[in-house]
Amino acid sequence: MGVRSSSKEMHQKDHGSSPYGYGYSLASSGTNLVSSLMKSWRISSASSPKSNSSYTGDGNFDAMAKQQTTAIKNSSSSSSYSPLKYSTPISSSGGGSASSRRTSTDSSKPYTSANKYNPSYYRDSGGGSGSGSGSSRKSDKYFKDLDEDWSAVIDDYNMPIPIITNGGVASPATPKVTRSSSVKTTPTSSTTAMANQNASSTFSYPQLPQLQKTLTTDLRSQLEVENEREAQELTSMLQRMAKFDCILKNKHIINQQELRQISWNGIPKPQRPVVWKLLIGYLPANTKRQESLLKRKRQEYHDGLDHVFSEQHSRDVPTWHQIEIDVPRTNPHIPLYQFKSVQRSLQRILYLWAIRHPASGYVQGINDLLTPFFQTFLTEYLPQSQIDDVEKLDPESYLTESQLNDVEADTFWCLTKLLEQITDNYIHGQPGILKQVKNLSQLVKRIDRDLFNHFQSEQVEFIQFAFRWMNCLLMREFQMSTVIRMWDTYLSETSLETSSSAAAMMSDTGPPRTPTEPASMTFQSFTSPSTTSKGSSEDLPRLRRSSLNEFHVFVCAAFLIRWSDQLIDMDFQNIITFLQNPPTRNWKETDIEMLLSEAYIWQSLYKDATSHWQ
Amino acid sequence: MNSSVTSIKLVLLGEAAVGKSSIVLRFVSNDFSENKEPTIGAAFLTQRVNIGEQTVKFEIWDTAGQERFASLAPMYYRNAQAALVVYDITKPQSFIKARHWVKELHEQASKGIVIALVGNKLDMIENGGERKVAKEEAEKLAEEEGLLFFETSAKSGENVNEVFLGIGEKIPIKKPGEQANEQSGLRITDDQRVDLTNSVNGPVRSAGCNC
Repeated sequence: MGVRSSSKEMHQKDHGSSPYGYGYSLASSGTNLVSSLMKSWRISSASSPKSNSSYTGDGNFDAMAKQQTTAIKNSSSSSSYSPLKYSTPISSSGGGSASSRRTSTDSSKPYTSANKYNPSYYRDSGGGSGSGSGSSRKSDKYFKDLDEDWSAVIDDYNMPIPIITNGGVASPATPKVTRSSSVKTTPTSSTTAMANQNASSTFSYPQLPQLQKTLTTDLRSQLEVENEREAQELTSMLQRMAKFDCILKNKHIINQQELRQISWNGIPKPQRPVVWKLLIGYLPANTKRQESLLKRKRQEYHDGLDHVFSEQHSRDVPTWHQIEIDVPRTNPHIPLYQFKSVQRSLQRILYLWAIRHPASGYVQGINDLLTPFFQTFLTEYLPQSQIDDVEKLDPESYLTESQLNDVEADTFWCLTKLLEQITDNYIHGQPGILKQVKNLSQLVKRIDRDLFNHFQSEQVEFIQFAFRWMNCLLMREFQMSTVIRMWDTYLSETSLETSSSAAAMMSDTGPPRTPTEPASMTFQSFTSPSTTSKGSSEDLPRLRRSSLNEFHVFVCAAFLIRWSDQLIDMDFQNIITFLQNPPTRNWKETDIEMLLSEAYIWQSLYKDATSHWQ
Repeated sequence: MNSSVTSIKLVLLGEAAVGKSSIVLRFVSNDFSENKEPTIGAAFLTQRVNIGEQTVKFEIWDTAGQERFASLAPMYYRNAQAALVVYDITKPQSFIKARHWVKELHEQASKGIVIALVGNKLDMIENGGERKVAKEEAEKLAEEEGLLFFETSAKSGENVNEVFLGIGEKIPIKKPGEQANEQSGLRITDDQRVDLTNSVNGPVRSAGCNC
């Protein structure tokens, strides 16, 4: 059961980020294709640098080149997209995923029975003989399962099933949202037709042939490939910005699903603040209501502060004191957080949040979680060329007091929204974290049995290193810029449409309330997700397809297994020391993207493993 | 050499922000940083020192201080041979918390655990700050409960090594075999690890080094 439904979901996830989902213009989908190629290439060859094997002789590349050719032919000959392009990732991932997928479908045996699936996937990227065969069998079933909006753009149902692509996108929406998105598909696909025409005339798009050549000649050095990739990524970033503009601008209702799908793969810096606010459900999709909502929410926050700091409200001294201690040691290596104005903002945000959420209160780690929001929202007020300086500049040097207040309020509300999704992590006993750690160990047991056994024999317990991973969403493990990129994906994974909390959220974005009311409202929406998640996963079968917590466990698994080769030779002391200080200092966005892609793949493959997680 | 290395499992407990991590950082790396990120969960560090003829390897679990994380603490002190209960001599509340930890250790930890009561941030007094926990009060507690007692400054380094040396001297030296025996039932045993000599954090230091 797990596999099928997961594949379907992957489709839903993917079709936006893939070339043919919503009918983006050909040119941009070309980049998309390239980037998806690159991504799957990166995944499939993840181990190659370690083993020093050359890429050029790799079977994957041939396969990719073939697919590439087909894709190009296809796109030039037909105006609608064929899923063929999409199949590239199957082949490029070698037999690894396709055949293992078969294993998991045909027999109920878990992966571990395939005698260490992991090595063939990671350490032997070239072993792809049976690529795609397992999946094409099921293709009919697959596409029948899809949303209606698929049928608007897919005309060939007999193509292989996409299995691995460059990540994917967020959760399927509630029926309501789906309906609205399928309604919207019609105009989009008509623009697609135009765009396609356009594109076929300008088909000599430089990137595709170049990449193809690279793949086929077998002569280029890896360095050249890298360089080209960088150039392509730059170009694709520009095009991504245009694509985001397309979703965000001149729209009455922003298509949330589309936005999530595209955001999963990264959000351009200039658009990040507004997109994050949309993804987390702070800004309403109805653009006409955004301005009034912001105004109201910001006012509400400041009224809340006034109330909390008024004389009739007695100060919660231990909480205040704890926050006061922690604020100066939040991100101590980033100059931004040493400015008094910033520390003042952080202190107020955390204190108000703690007072309003007594079941949780302030827990160390929450101070970390607010900082990506804060510094991202600051960039809204910086010229594009200075966005990267946000960590160095004193906000008071470029913001008015009221602007800084707005940033503070927005951060507060977005933090509130985020924590709603991971409530159980911070209440007494931290059951959410304990459960995630347990899930992580079970997952690693299935994915990488050798590592799991090694940990057991060394008496390494997952909680000894993974507690922090859960408590701070891996923020302590990465540099801030990497974390922010990771959050593009994480915020795309947040479930806006959790049934009862949807009601709460709707009322959140609904008609204005009096400023004194929200405390209880916030609390209500704060508790509801956890109660529903505990209560009945069956009542809400597909609505709660994935949660941030669930995805995060997969990211942690991917992160841990990435070091498997090294860890397996270490003793207890070295394992713990290594995992406390993983060598991620020089990680770039591409590294984190690869990690997220791996996590995504595993989430799809091990869907059945998570069915009892809820 | 193998037979002369003894491992001591040590846990640090105490209220948030009293300087647990800073004491460990001083001991392990002879370093200090003014604003250290709050510890989440627990951090593991090791350090070797020579005490007389003996090389002692401290395997240190530095736990998070915030109350919300307190439920994790038993996992770390359950198998420990030694504990540092740390408080901040300028924060009376942290001394109350220290009393609680001492009580809990006596009730829950292994019988022979060596506990050192450590009043940290001595430098603040020397720089004109106000002492809020009298030395006599702490000494009295230490005497009643059978604890070692030190006042330290992780910032200046004052007395930090003495704490660990004091503990090392108080724990009877055993041969690895015996040690493993006595600790059967531990989650983190080290009968194999004792033999390993690689990747120690920092050079072996000699006793009494107070750098």
